[in-house]
Amino acid sequence: MFICLFVAACAIPLAALHSAPRPDVLLDTMQRELHRAIGSLEKSDPATYYLSYSVADATSVTIAGTAGSLIVSSEGHRRQADVIMRVGSAALDNTHSQNRPSGIVSGSLPLSDDSDSIARVLWQLTDREYEQASSTFLKVKTNQAVQSAEEDKSPDFSLEAPQTHAGESRPQPSLDRKTWEDRIRRLSAGFLKYPNVYSSTVYLRFSTDRSYLATSEGTALVQPAAISRLVIEGETRADDGMELMRVETFQAASPDQLPSEADLHGKVEKIAADLKALRAAPVAEPYAGPALLSGRAAAVFFHEVLGHRLEGHRQRGDTEGQTFTKKVNQLVLPPFLSVTDDPTLKELGGIKLAGTYDFDDEGVPAAKVNAVENGVLKNFLMSRAPITDFSHSNGHGRRQPGLMPVGRQGNLIVTSTNTVKDSELKQKFVDEIKKQGKPYGLYFEDIQGGFTLTARASPQAFQVIPVMVWRVYPDGRPDELVRGVDIVGTPLLSLNNIILTGDTEQVFNGVCGAESGQVPVAAAAPAMLFSEIEVQKRAKGTQRPPLLPPPGFDEIATSDNANKPVAR
Amino acid sequence: MSKYSRRWKSPLILLLCAATLAHGKIALGQQPPDKSAKPAKQSNDSSPDVLLQAMQQELDRSKAKLKMDNVPAPYYIEYRLSDIDEYEAEAAFGALRQEQRFHGRSVRVVVRVGDYKQDSYYGPGVGSAAFAPLDNDATALRWQLWLATDEAYKAASQALAQKKAALSQFTADQPFDDFAKATALQSIEPVAKLDFDPKPWKETLEKSTALFRSDPKMESLTAALRFRAVNQYFVNTEGSVTRSGYTVYFVNAAASTQAADGMRLERSPYYGAANLKELPAPEEFQADVAKVIETLRGLRDAPVVDEDYRGPVLFGPDAASDLFFEMVGENVLGNRPKPGESARTTGDYSSNYKGRVLPNFLSVTDDPTMKTFDGKSLIGSYDVDDEGVRAEAVPVIEDGSLVSYLLGREPIRDFPESNGHGRAAPGQPPTPSIGNLIVHSKQSSSPEELKKKLIELCKQDNKPFGYYVETLAGTNPRLLYRVYQDGHQELVRGAAFDELDTRTLRNDLVAVGNDPLVSNRQGAIPSTVISPSILLDELEVKRSDQQNSKLPEYPPPALSSGR
Repeated sequence: MFICLFVAACAIPLAALHSAPRPDVLLDTMQRELHRAIGSLEKSDPATYYLSYSVADATSVTIAGTAGSLIVSSEGHRRQADVIMRVGSAALDNTHSQNRPSGIVSGSLPLSDDSDSIARVLWQLTDREYEQASSTFLKVKTNQAVQSAEEDKSPDFSLEAPQTHAGESRPQPSLDRKTWEDRIRRLSAGFLKYPNVYSSTVYLRFSTDRSYLATSEGTALVQPAAISRLVIEGETRADDGMELMRVETFQAASPDQLPSEADLHGKVEKIAADLKALRAAPVAEPYAGPALLSGRAAAVFFHEVLGHRLEGHRQRGDTEGQTFTKKVNQLVLPPFLSVTDDPTLKELGGIKLAGTYDFDDEGVPAAKVNAVENGVLKNFLMSRAPITDFSHSNGHGRRQPGLMPVGRQGNLIVTSTNTVKDSELKQKFVDEIKKQGKPYGLYFEDIQGGFTLTARASPQAFQVIPVMVWRVYPDGRPDELVRGVDIVGTPLLSLNNIILTGDTEQVFNGVCGAESGQVPVAAAAPAMLFSEIEVQKRAKGTQRPPLLPPPGFDEIATSDNANKPVAR
Repeated sequence: MSKYSRRWKSPLILLLCAATLAHGKIALGQQPPDKSAKPAKQSNDSSPDVLLQAMQQELDRSKAKLKMDNVPAPYYIEYRLSDIDEYEAEAAFGALRQEQRFHGRSVRVVVRVGDYKQDSYYGPGVGSAAFAPLDNDATALRWQLWLATDEAYKAASQALAQKKAALSQFTADQPFDDFAKATALQSIEPVAKLDFDPKPWKETLEKSTALFRSDPKMESLTAALRFRAVNQYFVNTEGSVTRSGYTVYFVNAAASTQAADGMRLERSPYYGAANLKELPAPEEFQADVAKVIETLRGLRDAPVVDEDYRGPVLFGPDAASDLFFEMVGENVLGNRPKPGESARTTGDYSSNYKGRVLPNFLSVTDDPTMKTFDGKSLIGSYDVDDEGVRAEAVPVIEDGSLVSYLLGREPIRDFPESNGHGRAAPGQPPTPSIGNLIVHSKQSSSPEELKKKLIELCKQDNKPFGYYVETLAGTNPRLLYRVYQDGHQELVRGAAFDELDTRTLRNDLVAVGNDPLVSNRQGAIPSTVISPSILLDELEVKRSDQQNSKLPEYPPPALSSGR
């Protein structure tokens, strides 16, 4: 009995020790070293007025396979530290205008919680950053004195309330590497029976992350994150040299939430079948006329065409095109459409959204932004870089480690009040084709992605890369797959050609790249009927398909591998 | 959903590259080595090599069937598969901040159209590379080879047309072939494997960099290691089949501090060997790092070289091996200049064939077949080069006179054949490279005698002191001492050499030591230089024009007690 008590007595403090939040050595060291640094640098000449330390403590696994074998299998743990510094004042600092990169220096921190060593590296990085920031600030001041006044006289940095939050330390998901290596071998072997899928890759990246942020304003955040991303890609070439590609992407927090292996095998078969159909499909002709975009296609379209132009920092600076800068409170979309960006929304229609977060990368709480209400532009996606009439962040300052944050999209959601049931939309489309007297319309089933140019020096154009596009005939003939289509056009015009939408929102989860790096995003929209969309022929490669059939296919005579070389 | 224009092709390969970059390397993490690949099993038995077999099968198929209309069939095809197994770790200020195990494979395919006299090896025609499967899977490997061969053949046909167009501007006929003939070689060496326990090494890195605690002014102190096993598998249509491998083990330290005037002072010693047991023992490495800190402290207080000096300078063997690597090693390579250029090579020795390039008491040989020197392993050793040609010992400089160049299978004027020096970093095209570059002398003196000679020369010249260089950074001094007439030495800082070039070695080198040092060099292609001390009777030493940096804006963090 005595022994029992002893054990029990011992067990209590032990249990208490385990359940109590462990003191976070990394965060403590960051805060201590930060206060020491700012205490000194705020008295330097020129003075530092803002300093932040952020650390991305990330563990990741990357596995890729092709033709039944692995080509990459790797695992890494890294703590990347970013020191962000602003010298001068919020009104004018070293990051002004094109000098944003002068605000940041990065390096690797020790992987163990060795406080002395961590502090020493932070000191080293901070000293290097002060050298860069202070000399840039002097240049900025000189330029201000000699250049004409800027149009937007907003300060360089907005004042925001400090935040403290330690994200729940629930156990992070894990990945059984061996299981996934074998699964990827099997999935990639699925393409081996298709001689005309020339190259293919199955790729998995799984990362768990704890991100730490401490700022001289008092913000202290610890946020866990986990992401699993599986990509299946197949490539072929048409006989005329056009490169054709299908990609399927799946994203979830934990690898267990990814589709089952059977479903993934189905996707491999689907990609192979799509590529076979695309090889045989006729090349699309230049066309302007009615078009129907699936919800996923419309979501990508809005992300590129509208979303990027709502990013706050693009409304400022002489090099930006500023499509929407002076259109606040004006109609920019048909009145039945509204657009929000809501990083606080976790899922939509049962699908987890990739662009969800609690605090942005400047430590500002994420907020839903009603960017366009009933067609009228109301707001921008703001980081802590103010613009005229929008002096505060709305929690959209995002970045990948190593880069300075700017206003970025999270979950862009398009809603409509002018809807018909999805099942009726096709008929409305056919009606529109008939009404315009066109021989056919184009149905965009899937879009790969796209890009948009917002710089002033380049045309204010966008391009999305549709991969599965069908000609829809008004006379009841079956739909016909075409290849080599590019949508072209200018943003304002295209957006106002939307006449009707479906009633279900579809989600596109992806990764968006811009000047602040790669960030996970989602876009959601209903299917949309456009009165007119313009398409052009895609520039194509001239390299013909491989001369020989793949290894092992020499003796099998199929029409697909008899790629007769063309005389040249 | 990318905001910027991307090339349509293969975003996944971009992704993989990005992943590689993001973590420095594609790493195997804490996994045991070679989980998926099993080259070890083939090492010492005579069972056929799955990789070589698959390569041979695809090579035979390509040779038999690859042909485009109106383009000649290839006259030569080669496949080279490189397998890298690598372990890297780095510590800073007493704590590990990077550790990776990486296993990767790539294939490189060269297809040549034309003939030995004139072919397509030019511009896009130098070959194509691809990821290779990590599993020993014949189907997956052949699939990658198939695509790379197709790409290489198409590129070769374009390259030959481009080359002919470029050459049509010149009237002179090229007096040598584009591609040297070589005998077919079959040589299967055992597979090279890494053999080490990471734990004691991680401790060594951490303990040695924890020594920053002994000096508050040490601004940076890191130590890193890189252990690497590379195996190259090679087949060509001439019938060569080779497998060759090597291991290299490197460990280094890097430290920096600033003098009171802001001058940045750095040291970065490294150690390399083909066997792990030749690297310094943990205590030895720590003692060396302690010594680095000590010399940096010395450098901080050392006087700056303010006055220009022209006079005798003695290079210790470490510094001398750097000089021979830079000034002789680079220039004895038979790199062919661009088409139409009349020079023999691209180096400083292009017009020195049969001329004097060193004093006549010195000779230089490159001998990859030598395995050890003075009991030390030479990492520049190999038996078969990366073009499937057997390595040869090549005397390049005899009695001061340049008698040969180091060559791969790309001939240059007067040198129609390879001498087994076509070497390649994994995944890269081969180029002429040194293996073990060895400096021989007919006459030599002990280091003490050399120091005496230095002082004698000073006396003759009426100089109060001469200079002794212990180590270099590039071709400028890092550890430099004044040697006074009474023999005492004084460390100095902030110096640079002026006009130190190949002519200096030819005209001003007056004596060498009997203290040859094996210097195993870091680099994508392992090489070794063996050189003794050298005495130059005249060299200019002046103040470096590098600007001083600002001192740290605020002091480093205080150390926690209890260490």
